[in-house]
Amino acid sequence: MKRLRLAVTYLILAVASFLSVFPLYWMIAASTNNSTDVLAGKLTFSTNLLANVTKLFAQQDVGRAFANSVFYSVILCALSLAVCSIAGYGFEIFHDKIKDCLMSVLLLAMMVPFAATLIPLFRMFTAVGLQSTWLAYVLPTLSTPFLIMLFRQSARSFPTEIVDAARIDGLNEFVIFVRVFVPTMKSTYAAATTVTFMNAWNSYLWPKVIMMSDKSQTMPMLVANLSSGFSIDYGVLMLGVLICSLPTGILFLILQKNFANGVVGAVKG
Amino acid sequence: MMKKKIAAAALSAVMAVSLAACGSGAQTSAPVASGDQSGNAAASDGSNTLTVWCWDAFNIDAMKKAAEIYNREHPEVTIDIQETLAKDIRTLVQTYAVGGELDALPDIFLMDDQVIAKYIQNYPEVFADLTDSGIDFSQFASSKVANSVSNGKNYGVPYDSNTVVAAYRTDYLEQAGYTVEDLTDITWDRFIEIGKDIKAKTGMPMLTNVQGEPDLLNMILQSAGISVFDENGNIALTENEGLKEAAKVYLTLVKEGILQEQTDWSGYQGSINNGTVVGTINGSWICATIMSTDQQEQSGNWAVTDMPKLNDYTGATNYSAQGGSTWAISSSSKNYDLAVDFMKTTWAGSTEFYDSILQDLGAISTWLPAADSDAYNQTSDFFGGKAIYAQIVSYGKKIPVVNKGLYWAEEKEAMGIALAKVLEGSADLDSAIAEAQATVEFNIGQ
Repeated sequence: MKRLRLAVTYLILAVASFLSVFPLYWMIAASTNNSTDVLAGKLTFSTNLLANVTKLFAQQDVGRAFANSVFYSVILCALSLAVCSIAGYGFEIFHDKIKDCLMSVLLLAMMVPFAATLIPLFRMFTAVGLQSTWLAYVLPTLSTPFLIMLFRQSARSFPTEIVDAARIDGLNEFVIFVRVFVPTMKSTYAAATTVTFMNAWNSYLWPKVIMMSDKSQTMPMLVANLSSGFSIDYGVLMLGVLICSLPTGILFLILQKNFANGVVGAVKG
Repeated sequence: MMKKKIAAAALSAVMAVSLAACGSGAQTSAPVASGDQSGNAAASDGSNTLTVWCWDAFNIDAMKKAAEIYNREHPEVTIDIQETLAKDIRTLVQTYAVGGELDALPDIFLMDDQVIAKYIQNYPEVFADLTDSGIDFSQFASSKVANSVSNGKNYGVPYDSNTVVAAYRTDYLEQAGYTVEDLTDITWDRFIEIGKDIKAKTGMPMLTNVQGEPDLLNMILQSAGISVFDENGNIALTENEGLKEAAKVYLTLVKEGILQEQTDWSGYQGSINNGTVVGTINGSWICATIMSTDQQEQSGNWAVTDMPKLNDYTGATNYSAQGGSTWAISSSSKNYDLAVDFMKTTWAGSTEFYDSILQDLGAISTWLPAADSDAYNQTSDFFGGKAIYAQIVSYGKKIPVVNKGLYWAEEKEAMGIALAKVLEGSADLDSAIAEAQATVEFNIGQ
């Protein structure tokens, strides 16, 4: 009976992992095929990779788009983690009724779709002349309710006795945060890094609107350009998608274990 | 322990890469990092640079050719072409107009004909009035110019032809005992008969279309001069006999398996490029898609003819229009005179230019003097050695002009849903059309 149950579990897991991995496999296989073969649903590898690479680099400035994406995503990710972890820590360790209430308001803000704030945000940024700067790219999504909530939930499992002990030892609040809290929250930081980096990397609408120069083009915009028009080269498109998804994929693989712990920890909290 | 070390090494590698990237990123984005100058990064600053937004290699390459020709006389002028998607151009025009940031728009941008009228109406401050610019609009096909005219003023320079062609695989037709002549100047009733026969003999559907985007329905409507808007621009789907007639044809095509609906554009392009359908009916720009196949054996086995007409409906013809786009000049352009001169000498004044984009890209102009050129009589090996461009130009002259209204895109979406409902059996045609009418009215706030 136990064996049967195990077999069923493995079967379900096998199907689920096949469903998750298959699109990735197809993306890689398709990037080595020509357009007509991709459209015909060919699933095996072929010899067209080099031709696709040549075409892609001839059509688009991949180097610049990639460098831009990395630049903006890394800055956004680093600043966002710093700001949101301090906020999450503060909301939990120094919590009182007013701060709890404020937190609920923050969570409500998650409900507002970005399209609704696009034009007001745009007017704000152009009014102060920040358009087409990295600050404009970064600021609107620097602090997200989701990240603050993630850090706050993690901070719940953090024993306040340690904070008290550190205070008695004469550490100031900021040092306690940096030296005591941050090192114990590695898995939360890993989870937050994965989510933030992915969001920053995939961000499309806001950068398109506020970064008014062609020179600020990012990878998602490049992929969008490849998929426009009436005669799309799907081999080249899949190669573009592959290059675009590599960084988030690699980052996830590196932080995978911590990511799972971080998310579970937050939920448990 | 080992794992920890690996993770640490990997993390430091990521850090190193990202730091390096910071450096290079800062370098590449240096021109945009400085506040004010970058604010006007898109629109040129009064120098000799014209910034252009357009999408797709088809349009970009045509613009590059225009720049090349213009540069011969004006080597000091730079045409900076920035690839921007059609839907992004719409979003940006809207955002910059509402945000009062018109300076961020380029000097020249392309807009698809389906929406340009609506944008001119809603954001007139964006578009420069070209009526007295010296560009001779009488030299363009009138059905095309009409898309960018508002209150008697011209706001756009027409670009590519949207004349509808019916393109078929002659080898497949032959297998079933037909020629392309059998499909020329026929009615939809006759087309359905032939389609059933070919389907029975070859197992292949005659046509392909993207599900939920019934472009074919709109092509049938225009071919018979049927408008879905009344004189006041209000949506008029219900009690529209022509629409009902056209919808019935569409539904029969799908039900009989003569028209195969695809889930998206990739399915559509795939069915043509992989030879799983006999043909397609679309704007003449579809010829570029047809020729983009990697299957060598398709070359020489395609033919182009006119589309079927709406049976005995009064005013029915075999000619229609679909797609196409128009160039606009920003009212905020600091190089307005230069932009106008550029458009006037190339897009509205150079036969050589149109000959060359016809030969290289298959782009068919709506600038009438270009059609007299010898280039249009050249034959295409891919299309069985026929002079298809001359053929398409001759169709273009016979397209009925209809009142397309401002909300063409909204109508298309609602009718797509209506047809899908009828096909899945959850509504009858009359109630589905009534629902579409209500949807469009709600969406456009009538």
